Amino acid sequence: MRFLPLLVAIAALYAQDGAPTGANWPHYGGTQFSWRYSALDQVNTGNVKSLRPVWMFQTGDYAENLQSTPIVVDGVMYLITPRIQVFALDAATGKLLWSYKYPTPRPGRPGGMTFVQNRGVAVGDGKVFFGTTDSYLVALDQKAGHELWKVSVDDAKQCGCDITAAPLVVKDKVIVGETGGDAAHRGYLTAFNTKTGRLAWRWYVIPGPGEKGHETWQGDSWKLGGGAPWMTGSFDPDLNLVYWGTGNAGGDFNDSERLVPGTKGKEANLFTASVVALDADTGKLRWYFQEVPDDLWDFDSAYECILIDRPINGRMRKLLVHMNKSGLTFVLDRVTGEYIGVFSTPEVQTWISGITEDGKLVGRKEPVAGQVTSTCPGAAGAKSWNSMAYSPRTGYVYAPINEVCNDLTSVSTAPQEGRFHANGGFTMKLPPNRTDFSHLDAWDPVTRKRVWSMPYRYILLASVLATAGDLVFTGDPEGNFFALDARSGDKLWSYATGAGHRGSAVSYSVNGRQYVATPTGWQQAITGAQLAPLFPDQAWRGGSTLITFALPEESK
Amino acid sequence: MKRLLPLLLACAPLCHSQQLADVLKQGEQVFQKSCATGYCHGAKGAPAGAPRLAGRGFDQGYILSTAMRGLPGTAMPAFGSTLSREDLTAVVAYVATLNGIANPSISPGPGAGAAGPPEPQLSPEAARGRDLFYDAVRGFARCSTCHEVRGMGISVATAISNVPPDAAALRALQTPNVRTVTVDGESMPALIVSQAKNRALFYDLTSVPPVLRAVDPSALKVAEGSTWRHSTVIGAYSDNELASILAFLRVAAAP
Repeated sequence: MRFLPLLVAIAALYAQDGAPTGANWPHYGGTQFSWRYSALDQVNTGNVKSLRPVWMFQTGDYAENLQSTPIVVDGVMYLITPRIQVFALDAATGKLLWSYKYPTPRPGRPGGMTFVQNRGVAVGDGKVFFGTTDSYLVALDQKAGHELWKVSVDDAKQCGCDITAAPLVVKDKVIVGETGGDAAHRGYLTAFNTKTGRLAWRWYVIPGPGEKGHETWQGDSWKLGGGAPWMTGSFDPDLNLVYWGTGNAGGDFNDSERLVPGTKGKEANLFTASVVALDADTGKLRWYFQEVPDDLWDFDSAYECILIDRPINGRMRKLLVHMNKSGLTFVLDRVTGEYIGVFSTPEVQTWISGITEDGKLVGRKEPVAGQVTSTCPGAAGAKSWNSMAYSPRTGYVYAPINEVCNDLTSVSTAPQEGRFHANGGFTMKLPPNRTDFSHLDAWDPVTRKRVWSMPYRYILLASVLATAGDLVFTGDPEGNFFALDARSGDKLWSYATGAGHRGSAVSYSVNGRQYVATPTGWQQAITGAQLAPLFPDQAWRGGSTLITFALPEESK
Repeated sequence: MKRLLPLLLACAPLCHSQQLADVLKQGEQVFQKSCATGYCHGAKGAPAGAPRLAGRGFDQGYILSTAMRGLPGTAMPAFGSTLSREDLTAVVAYVATLNGIANPSISPGPGAGAAGPPEPQLSPEAARGRDLFYDAVRGFARCSTCHEVRGMGISVATAISNVPPDAAALRALQTPNVRTVTVDGESMPALIVSQAKNRALFYDLTSVPPVLRAVDPSALKVAEGSTWRHSTVIGAYSDNELASILAFLRVAAAP
């Protein structure tokens, strides 16, 4: 028994109980720690070349491809499509157990920014939860698929917002964010009781009068100032803290109506473009860290928060790793919000000239009204909402990074509630003198060094999956789903699925057999469509098929 | 007159082409600002977040109806009520030229622009009441959490037909349709939506926002009457504010 700690340390260098997934894939990010890492190792570097499809499921909903993360619990997979059809499938065979279709909602607010997309369900308390394009949160019976409760989170006809993110189940609550950051809308997170659907708490990204941070808003701009936390957060049960990223302030590209005069270069428009920690029971703000004060590039800090424990200077620290669309990746102490370090992932970076030791941006190249300002990366992001993965065996995060720039325009317009309010626009363009425009990277978040990088000719917009078989999986727009060696980045296996990848692969097991499942289907809106025209000789195919792989029965 | 005719004929195409050029220029400006943001379409109808609009073979009627009504189920909004008639005509003509229509119509079609039935003029007090009715700053503690008026708000309650005379009457409003239901041993104020054979639907009014619950009818006990009061959910409004809201409803909710 004396040897056990050492053995565990060898098996998993930086093990954290409850952070890897096992037979199930219970949450959007794998577990609430958002590692997108499976402890299953039946499929590994030695046998991955034998991986083959074992079943497929065609959803029939070709509205905007398949972006969702499947949830797998006790051998049943729960999958949602953009037009909100929910399927429960036998995760070993793909057999349909039940299906549900949400009634087509009335169109939202004219001129708002709502899209037909859905990135996943949440499962808990015997229910399947999802958000809708008309801003409802719905709970279905997990066994039979009928509605149990439904609640209006906002009036989509007024707010210009909708729900595309997977909700996050935290204890007896289900927490959900809304889009709307590019419409004139005041962002928030809302928590509901899983059993009854009753409101538990709401936290507004933008503080109201009398609250700390309110003074960072000019006049009434706080009322419609954006900041939507529109993706899915994380939860640390020991600290009882929920972590979420918040979007940029609106209007995006011009701050003249929202920035308090004389505060340029300081914290601005709190708590937009930040990572926040909230008390899971009350929704009260515990700490915040603003990554891009006065974000004028639509760099949107709304993405995944990876919760890892790692020693720094000989002391074990509870960390949070978070990347926004600029590709800056912040490493924070998740107990206190203390800044620990940052690294920048894109190779072409012109929007700032650098960043100080303590994480302050230097040499900001801001869009100027009446001019065209070229910056890299562009508003489509070095990385978009698609998630990174983290392996405790290597200690690396795996991130798909795009090298795309843009020409920004900036105008000052008065916000109209629920209507598009970007205060300018962008035209994507490729940086000169390159032949590859993306790369899949392994970064050590503690040393902040890039360990390996796999270049790719076009762009990468799918999430990453890491496994204890020392494999890293993702897909490309040409339709290849592939596995790399997590330590070297060598490509070990690839499978042509026929349609481009924008979704998030998962791994799980049923009766001792490990499966790897990936959604397929390129998408029309929005980031994919912004970037695809940069490669006019390409015609990446849409679709909406889930493909599940495993080793042949005899070889497992 | 006969002598002048050739001159007039010569002017007509010239004058028209100058007018067309002006309209198309305006249309391009509207397009740049409202459509070609990069989130949606790109400059000159190039594809961006939304599909390409140039060279698609669209006819002008289709462009007009899509711009006015939007495309339900997609991100394409309806601009019929957000653009002026002049801007809408201009941008539709501009998009028509991107589709090979060299001489698009530049006369506003019937119903183009901010047409539709004109909204009744609101007095300053009623306009204030409208803002309070839908006030997002109040979160769920606003009227539109439960009432839909003029196509906005959530229709939990049935359409407002009788507008109370004053704030006191609004606070004292009787709500006989709110009953007390018991599910799994818990009693709650409820608005029953339907009681079919295999499924009962009701709004749980315990807190705002109301929750639409679906239960097995055999698990549901219903009793008349409730401790729920309309005065509780409108508690965040002052009498003065309620008076403005009533002024709005007298115009907007009139049958």
